[in-house]
Amino acid sequence: MHAAYALVLVFGLTPPDFEREVVPILAAKCLGCHNKNEASGDLSLQTSDRLAEMVPVGAPESGDLFGRIHKSEMPPKGKGKPLIDKEKELLLSWIKAGASWPKGRKLGLYEKTSATLGGLDWWSLQPVKRPSVPPIDGVSNPLDAFIRQGQTAKGMTPAPEADRRTLIRRLYFDLLGLPPSYEEVEAFVADKNPAAYEKLVDKLLVDPRHGERWARHWLDLIRYGDTNGYERDADKPFAWKYRDYVIRSVQADKPFDRFLIEQLAGDQLPNRTEETLVATGMLRVGTWDDEPNDKLEYTYDRLEDMVHVTSTAFMAMSVKCARCHDHKFDPIPQEDYHKVAAAFWPGDLLGNAQAKVDGYDVLAWTDVPGKPKPLHLLKKGDPRRPGPEVDPGFVSMIPSLDHPSIHQKDSKIRRLELAKRLADPSNPLTARVAVNRIWQHHFGRGIVRTPDNFGFKGDLPSHPELLDYLASEFVANGWKAHTIHRLILNSRTYKQSSIHPLQNDYELIDADNRLLWRANRHRIDAEAMRDSLLLVGGGLDGTRFGPGITPSLSNEALEGLSKKGGAWQPSPKDKQRRRSIYIHVRRSLINPLLGTFDFADTSRPCAQRDVTMVAPQALMLLNDEFVHAESSSLAQKAAKAGPDPKLQIQSAWRIALGRDPKPGEVELGLDFIKRLGSDEGLRSLCHVLVNTNEFAHVD
Amino acid sequence: MNTNNIKKRFPCGLDRREAIWQMGGGFAGIALAGMLEEAGFFRKHLGAAEPANRPIGPHFPVKARAVIHLMMNGAPSQVDTFDPKPELRKYAGKPLPSDKKYINSGGRKVGFLTPEFRPFRPGGKSGIPVSDYFPHVRSHADKLAIVRSCHTDSHAHGSALVAMNTGSVFIGKPSLGSWCVYGLGSASKNLPAYVVMMDKRGGPISGQPNYGSGYMPGQFQGTLFRPVGTPILNLKGADAPGIQRAQLDLLAKLNDFHIADRPGASDLAARAQSYELAYRMQAEAPEAVDLSKETQKTLDMYGVGREPTNDFGRNCLIARRLVERGVRFIQLYSGGGHLEDTWDAHTSIEKNHGLHGAEVDQPIAALLADLERQGLLDSTLVVWGGEFGRMPFSEGPGEPGRNHNPYGFTTWFAGAGVKGGTIYGATDEFGFQAVENKAHIHDLHATILHLLGFDHERLTYFHQGRDDRLTDVYGNVINGILA
Repeated sequence: MHAAYALVLVFGLTPPDFEREVVPILAAKCLGCHNKNEASGDLSLQTSDRLAEMVPVGAPESGDLFGRIHKSEMPPKGKGKPLIDKEKELLLSWIKAGASWPKGRKLGLYEKTSATLGGLDWWSLQPVKRPSVPPIDGVSNPLDAFIRQGQTAKGMTPAPEADRRTLIRRLYFDLLGLPPSYEEVEAFVADKNPAAYEKLVDKLLVDPRHGERWARHWLDLIRYGDTNGYERDADKPFAWKYRDYVIRSVQADKPFDRFLIEQLAGDQLPNRTEETLVATGMLRVGTWDDEPNDKLEYTYDRLEDMVHVTSTAFMAMSVKCARCHDHKFDPIPQEDYHKVAAAFWPGDLLGNAQAKVDGYDVLAWTDVPGKPKPLHLLKKGDPRRPGPEVDPGFVSMIPSLDHPSIHQKDSKIRRLELAKRLADPSNPLTARVAVNRIWQHHFGRGIVRTPDNFGFKGDLPSHPELLDYLASEFVANGWKAHTIHRLILNSRTYKQSSIHPLQNDYELIDADNRLLWRANRHRIDAEAMRDSLLLVGGGLDGTRFGPGITPSLSNEALEGLSKKGGAWQPSPKDKQRRRSIYIHVRRSLINPLLGTFDFADTSRPCAQRDVTMVAPQALMLLNDEFVHAESSSLAQKAAKAGPDPKLQIQSAWRIALGRDPKPGEVELGLDFIKRLGSDEGLRSLCHVLVNTNEFAHVD
Repeated sequence: MNTNNIKKRFPCGLDRREAIWQMGGGFAGIALAGMLEEAGFFRKHLGAAEPANRPIGPHFPVKARAVIHLMMNGAPSQVDTFDPKPELRKYAGKPLPSDKKYINSGGRKVGFLTPEFRPFRPGGKSGIPVSDYFPHVRSHADKLAIVRSCHTDSHAHGSALVAMNTGSVFIGKPSLGSWCVYGLGSASKNLPAYVVMMDKRGGPISGQPNYGSGYMPGQFQGTLFRPVGTPILNLKGADAPGIQRAQLDLLAKLNDFHIADRPGASDLAARAQSYELAYRMQAEAPEAVDLSKETQKTLDMYGVGREPTNDFGRNCLIARRLVERGVRFIQLYSGGGHLEDTWDAHTSIEKNHGLHGAEVDQPIAALLADLERQGLLDSTLVVWGGEFGRMPFSEGPGEPGRNHNPYGFTTWFAGAGVKGGTIYGATDEFGFQAVENKAHIHDLHATILHLLGFDHERLTYFHQGRDDRLTDVYGNVINGILA
């Protein structure tokens, strides 16, 4: 006690600095309960409103504020961490000196990042600043410069450049989701033009199959499905038009800001078209329960889905967590959730909205005509405990965009207003999040490895300056993805080998390869697996767009359906050979081959698929009827090389793996065919080839 | 952008855990992880500090090493099975008092309070009353802990079934079995750790999400298991065993060539190994459903080979065999498809429950007896129940069916760590609504996890910025039924 008073006296000589010393303690230890929302004991310490009565003039020590802290009653047990001695003394001496509070100063709950909470100073919320490129000898690609800087700091150098065979296969799977043919590989290897690689990149970026490949990444993120899920799991009419819209947008390299605005508010654009209406299907392709337990609650659940898909896809922030309470980790008060949600509120949240808009058959999102109902903040998220009405607005964690023009409750363009703020070049999140996704799909992992969470609980960027460089390039070049693709694909970093001569040493320093000292070898994903099997087998039907297809499934695979038989009508055989992105995504029964190879969860935004390696994948490729049929077709193609088994083997290798077999492989193949007999031998050999690690991996 | 001032931290410990689980959990994953460990994979990729191929591991002693979930799909009526309400005889023909609020699911006709359709009789030493829809189960009354005060979040099958299975009315969360395997891992080399056996009349409403792994990796999802022949999808292909062996030998050699050019590629080595594991599964998994070594007496006990018990009896017997073989979580569906093919007794309790009760009563009793006989009941938790209950009133005058009721229903537990001969909680005098010691489905889940050795608040999976739980932010262990 005496020692404590002594300290008070010492500190008391000059009262503690409010901003520097008092605010951090109030923020970390008091505001959790004493804020304007919860106002425990009817006290908010965000403002000085009640300070006068708690700190009597002339006798501050007689007041409640002093007393409760002095007696260590605050913070109460079980409500956060207690004050440490020094904090207690600081607060007490501040109170003793009269608890001075700068006039009009309102403490933000989220001003500063603390040990438990991201504040407004969190890295991803700071403006994107275009960094200067580190000058590194012999490195011309800016991206390489940033990567090399990181490696040099650890005494590392990148892996050698990969050979052309590796590079063309890598590029094909990356950009098209398919392997190159033998002829394409050979032509590329033989191309004497030093710019052959750059030319190939340019060619593949405009290949129609590129749109089909990269559209799927986006569909994962916006939880695309062709059915509603739940009991009836009914079809969503014309959902496929949205899928086609995404493919066309990727293909055309539509500026990302435009892509964003169309999807959130295509119906509110002046001169809306069928295309911009279809784009709003993003808001409707998620799950939808036609028989919710409680329609009122479900209305708010639907609202959450809208906020969640929007904030995950464009901001990588879990705004939805603030539906019932202020966000626990990020500077997103409950009010902000509702400000964003207000954009979607005028829509028909419960309904299975009409399929015709402006005479078009579309799965579009539009507002219900008339004046929108007021949206109230719900206490603890309870629809039966409405709080104050909330006007539309933006998230306050990006203060520069939370300006009054968006707070128009009568606006007929609430979503457009929201979309414009998301697409504003000064928004620090949108471009960072978008380029991180592009990076992620080229390298396997993002610069931020939690592509759906740039908040406090997410990963920190491995190369923050590089991320900002890419983000600023992206915006400066009209939000065109091709700009970033080219930067990345033409970098030395992308072109390096997946094998490093010093990898045993390097793995000890950076096992996760965060510094990108080699390429990441990876297993091809679900769609690439099925599409490759079709391509090397009986042929891939390149038909684009239109209603989804339903491949035949075995009776065993259909057993999980509640409605037997009639519920799964396979497409005609000759229509089943299309790319996997065209498979009708039925939520109650995901295609088993795709599911086995880690297809995305269709109920929520999926920013990154898992990559598992489990025995059922081997069982699938060994025993599934589809795989059998395709490898038999592969054998028939190989048999056209003539009766000589050597030529058949060569042909099989060329088709399946895009290369000639090595002598040792020819010997193994000959021996195998000899033992099993020519027909069975060749078919079996082809079956083995599609099971190899080489078929399933990209170096 | 400066990140230096931010304390460096391993983001959620996710990468490492992900990597472990991508290799180490679920379907035949443990065995694969073992191979990987031998190959030095984890030492290289995960660092020596982290125990690699282990599941999360229990927080406290494991009571239940396996769970058999008897899912009475469609929702049995509590007042006709395990929750006797003699007062209903008094009120028969009267409406439910108007102060009892409920959602009339499907907007069906509302009839009058209707007493049980079959009488209750006391069972065992405990004298717990069980109705004549379950005469065989009644003889095991002393093994049961009957929770009569369950309630849930939806009156619709689609979302309520998903909620019973995943804790949430929204599809897309990991199911109970996924959490179980995520926590405890697999104890079987050749069988999936989480098995679901359907009713042959159809799968559950809402389909796959009922046994899916949601945001967890795919190997934690339930595997559909068939009771005859080759139980798992793609366990048998067109190639004769000899030919397949030759194929695998060739495959191994080709993979060896490929790996030789890629030093240190333990991921490739592991994939090559997974084919040997698959091959072994093909040979050994069908044995689990081969009942030829079971005695006739056992088959008779389960009602195998007789109607109406053959299907569910076979599934129950296989469930015991799966437990013996280290499978962690086995879910058996009674009722499949829609309406009267399930326990969804809208038209007639007697007709519907008479049928489904007769199908499952003897098999369930046999399962309890058999587990006990084999010394497995102490370590196996058996859970019986539907996705909700049914109303104490009929669907109209002269309509002997009952509508959905999420406000009060019965779930019973038996086996590992469960205090048998227990009645826990109560509904009101009509059997309409849980009123005493209410047990939400989150509480049921918390209790199941507890018996598996987990604190439900600490068994978490990091997803989209938060440590997600089976029980969300709710759930209390029902201590009153624990031994």
